[in-house]
Amino acid sequence: MNERAGTPILNVRSVSKTFGGVVRALDDVSLEVYPNEIVGVVGENGAGKTTLMKILVGVYPPDQGEWAYRGVKVPFPKNPKEAARKGISIVYQEKGVVPSLRVHQFLFLGNEDRYVGRTGLQTDRIKAHAREILKELHVQCDVDDFMHELPLSTQKMVEIAKAILSVRVEQDDENTQSVIILDEPTAPLTIEERKELLDEISGMKENTSFIFVTHIMQEVMECMDRVVVLRDGKLVGHYDMATDQVTEEDLTRVIVGKEILEHQPGAVSATARNAGVVLEAEGLAKKGSYYDISFELHRGECLGLFGPAGSGKSELIRTLAGLDGFDRGTLSIMGKEAKNREPAHIRLSRGVGYFSGDTGNELLHDWSIAKNISILNIAKVIGKIFRIIRFNAEKRMAERIVERLRIRAPNVSTPVSALSGGSKQKVTVGKWFERSPQILLLEDPTIGIDVGSRQDIFATILDMKGRGISMILVSDDSREYSTLCDSIVLMRQGKVQEIISAERLKEVVEA
Amino acid sequence: MSDKAMNQRRFFPSLGRYATTSTIMPIVATVVVIVVFQILNPAFLSYQGIVTIAYSMSYFLIAACGLTLVIMMGSFDFSVVSVMKLAALLCVMYIGKLGLLVIPFALAICAAIGFVNGVLFAKLKVPSFMATLGISVVIDGIALVLSKGFLMMMNHPGFRSIAVTFILGMPSIFYWAIGTWILCTSIAVITPFGRRTYAIGGNPKAVAISGVNVARHRIVVFVLSSLLAGLAGVLYMSQLGGGSVKIGSDMMIPLFASVVAGGTSLKGGVGGPQRTLLGVIIITWIQSGLLMVGAGRDIQVVVLGIIAIIMTIATTERGKLMRTIVK
Amino acid sequence: MNGPAKQKSSFKNAVQAVKNYPVVLIFLGLLAIFSVLYSQQFLSPINLTATLRQFVTLMLFALGPSIVMVLGSMDLSFIGIWMLGSILLWLLSPIIGPVALLVIPILGVATGFIVGVIHTKGRIPSFILTLSLLITYWGLTVVLAGGYPRSIPGYGFITARLVPRVPTPFFLSIPIVLVAVFISLRTRLGVYFSAIGSNEEGARLAGIDVDKYKILAFTISGAFTGVGSVILFKHLGGSAAVEFNLNNVVRPLVAIILGGTPLVGGSGGPHRTILGVLTFAVLYRGLHLSPLRPELIDLVVGLVLIVSIILSSRGTRMRGVDVT
Repeated sequence: MNERAGTPILNVRSVSKTFGGVVRALDDVSLEVYPNEIVGVVGENGAGKTTLMKILVGVYPPDQGEWAYRGVKVPFPKNPKEAARKGISIVYQEKGVVPSLRVHQFLFLGNEDRYVGRTGLQTDRIKAHAREILKELHVQCDVDDFMHELPLSTQKMVEIAKAILSVRVEQDDENTQSVIILDEPTAPLTIEERKELLDEISGMKENTSFIFVTHIMQEVMECMDRVVVLRDGKLVGHYDMATDQVTEEDLTRVIVGKEILEHQPGAVSATARNAGVVLEAEGLAKKGSYYDISFELHRGECLGLFGPAGSGKSELIRTLAGLDGFDRGTLSIMGKEAKNREPAHIRLSRGVGYFSGDTGNELLHDWSIAKNISILNIAKVIGKIFRIIRFNAEKRMAERIVERLRIRAPNVSTPVSALSGGSKQKVTVGKWFERSPQILLLEDPTIGIDVGSRQDIFATILDMKGRGISMILVSDDSREYSTLCDSIVLMRQGKVQEIISAERLKEVVEA
Repeated sequence: MSDKAMNQRRFFPSLGRYATTSTIMPIVATVVVIVVFQILNPAFLSYQGIVTIAYSMSYFLIAACGLTLVIMMGSFDFSVVSVMKLAALLCVMYIGKLGLLVIPFALAICAAIGFVNGVLFAKLKVPSFMATLGISVVIDGIALVLSKGFLMMMNHPGFRSIAVTFILGMPSIFYWAIGTWILCTSIAVITPFGRRTYAIGGNPKAVAISGVNVARHRIVVFVLSSLLAGLAGVLYMSQLGGGSVKIGSDMMIPLFASVVAGGTSLKGGVGGPQRTLLGVIIITWIQSGLLMVGAGRDIQVVVLGIIAIIMTIATTERGKLMRTIVK
Repeated sequence: MNGPAKQKSSFKNAVQAVKNYPVVLIFLGLLAIFSVLYSQQFLSPINLTATLRQFVTLMLFALGPSIVMVLGSMDLSFIGIWMLGSILLWLLSPIIGPVALLVIPILGVATGFIVGVIHTKGRIPSFILTLSLLITYWGLTVVLAGGYPRSIPGYGFITARLVPRVPTPFFLSIPIVLVAVFISLRTRLGVYFSAIGSNEEGARLAGIDVDKYKILAFTISGAFTGVGSVILFKHLGGSAAVEFNLNNVVRPLVAIILGGTPLVGGSGGPHRTILGVLTFAVLYRGLHLSPLRPELIDLVVGLVLIVSIILSSRGTRMRGVDVT
């Protein structure tokens, strides 16, 4: 079944792309896609997967590289329509669906040219063709249904059908094989829906090839014919899943880089296990995300929620932060029970801070460093009698932070929009350092930033831990778990598998 | 204050960097306006001229300060003018029965209206301009019902003295306005409340994580806006002393233009009452100046409409509108 | 095809239709209430004529904005186009004759285009932009009119009575409304407008040039308002008005929202607005027949606006989108 005979539909070689002259997103990456196969593309965030996909569909051009379509060398596409002409199309991870349209309208959105007649859109023809493709791909819905009425997995199927359609529309031969890129298609789905979608996609292999970008190891093991691994912009591995005997752990090691998993001694807080419990979860459940979660967080401990995408860790930490609610179970913070639906500001008053690496959501971009730090720490900079802001105090507080975290900025009045990504992140860490909540929830604290900034941030986080601040970490970067955490809750598919101490992380992942 | 320092450092104007444009432009515009109109009409800067301008500017500034707070927060309050009108009306109608107590009475009602606005917006998620537009229609209706047939005159020297007592050559309403302006500016710049207002305008999600009860804050700001509008209405009536209330919904444009002309951006998070003073000066001076050279109300409106559009463009930083609703 | 069999009985179809168009219930309900309460006056031919007149006015004003609202934007300029167009007609009619009628649609198209461009390229929120434009046009109208309303003689053919009891503008407006409905339901444009209103990013990802279609929507809106105003100026008395009345702006908006086009767009359009206008016209006429004073009626209209906005914002509330 896995002969690699014949010409690949898609053959890109030596693709490189650098942004701003500094960030090397892709370095000499090559990829082939043969007919009737699913090629998995895996790698951590920032490894270059998204950049590669965007180049393939023509969002931007590569700095270097060659493209052969069915053996014939062609230039890189300049826009998605050209990419469709070269047989390739993409289903985006999110925001691809237009909820208020009916299925047939959405399927042909952007491609109605052939269906315009003198009396307007030839809706009957459109519906007929829509029915055909839905039937061909076994999609369970009616052409008149509204997109928002469909379950999420069906919506994804319709999106896939649309992508296939957009390729066929541009080709003369109706039977050409398309290459459809799926960007983490199962990310928004529940565990049951995920399985359905994967089955359907596997079933579609006869007519279509897929490039499947994912984080979820399980999907890689179950569905892919071949797998390509990217790390830091380079191609570090490619495997034929049938002939090469590769395990999940092998892949993880290649994705992450083996040495990273060594647990850093000294990060363990010797008193962690004996200190008081500051947060306790019992039987927490949220439909579609996680089930029966129980664990304890001790003072001064850093607990990692570890698992692949889809394990429920992100939803769980957001629930703990008060950004989402939970359906069942109990959560007690500092000894008091927390209601299942509480807005973030009330959680903060209980002592729970939340920090997300997505700096778009955390900082006020036009504001200065000083103001961004003080908005969270306003109590520290207002006067005793008149409760007004004392600018000197604000400035000094910010200067302390800038120095501690080695933030590179002319002064504390600089707007954060002028700072580099790493420095912005430091401002966010700094403001929480100043705030020192009893419990700090960290989500992707060092995502996408340079090594130097990452080290500075780690140092500060460890410092906070040393002061008795308890933390919970969620990340896609294994380095963070091994550097910061004392204990780790292993999660998979929404459930807790095991709670282990951090030293054992390497064993568990490799075992 | 730190932002101002930053602005001055970036003095070299690059088109589109709103920071520079919206600081320099209002100052330049004010100077130009004063010079131009002084040339056209030498009586412009006379004592009488200045007093006249003070009368037309003062209640306007008070209402504009309230509106500024809402716009700083990234929202919009269309009901300001209607509330002003209602407050003025309530004063005239009930001064006979309540005496000077009519003032807290009117203000309380205005605060209640602001509360309704805030709830509609923050809790029921009605876009602010729509909610306040609807409320303003209702209030206009109420005002019409209440005032039917009344051509009111007021005979209460105490009430009139609130606005018209002359101190150091200027009518007291002038001091009311300046005092309100100082108060609002202080709130905006040096209180945590003001910071939070800016913050919500800048990035509501980040503020929620920072421990601010965003919904409650929004409601409070709307209450403030309506309160100030009510104060403006009360003072207006005090200044007028009776007669028909000549506030029409077309006053919304000069009001809005003043806020924007001062440099407060519609996207929220920037500007503030300190800027609005300049904006009000520009706008009222233009209005009075136009009047003095014989231009009618209509031309004023055209000019102001165009100014409003231009200033909005100038203060809206490209590509950074963070609102999902505004399309 | 694979999927559940879709054999619906006609009863089920009717139920589905009502669920999709809840305003129908309101409309029928109002009809019933007023017919019972004021049967003699309400069901009289005079009232029918008055209702139709109201319908025409509201419909022609609401047509343009209802297209823009599908996009999720707001177009308040329609009153401005009507006022300025009328006064331009008054000015130019003696000079160039009946050809002057063309000025109004041209003004509408030009206005819509300019608004579209400024909105998309200048990133100005449509509400403020069109409000400012409206006020500016009003000011220009007053200037050109010299401060007084002006009577525009001639053009009697627009209102010449053809069918007893039915105002001729009603017939004239039918083709215009049909074109709008056609665009909305049967062309690519309609689908694209809904897509942009529903998920602008998704529409962009599907390859739609969002800016271009937004500009197009505003231009079309201006065109419809312009053409409608040609009928309206005569229908409303054959003169160019100089009074700015907020009610004229608010009532068509109420009608659009009542009809079921959400404030944030994504669905709805002229076909729904027809129902909304009809319902509003019936409501208004009914209220007039009641002993309520005219001022109170305006108040009721304001309340209806608020209630219908709250109800129509329910969708936004459920989606959890942050509102400004």
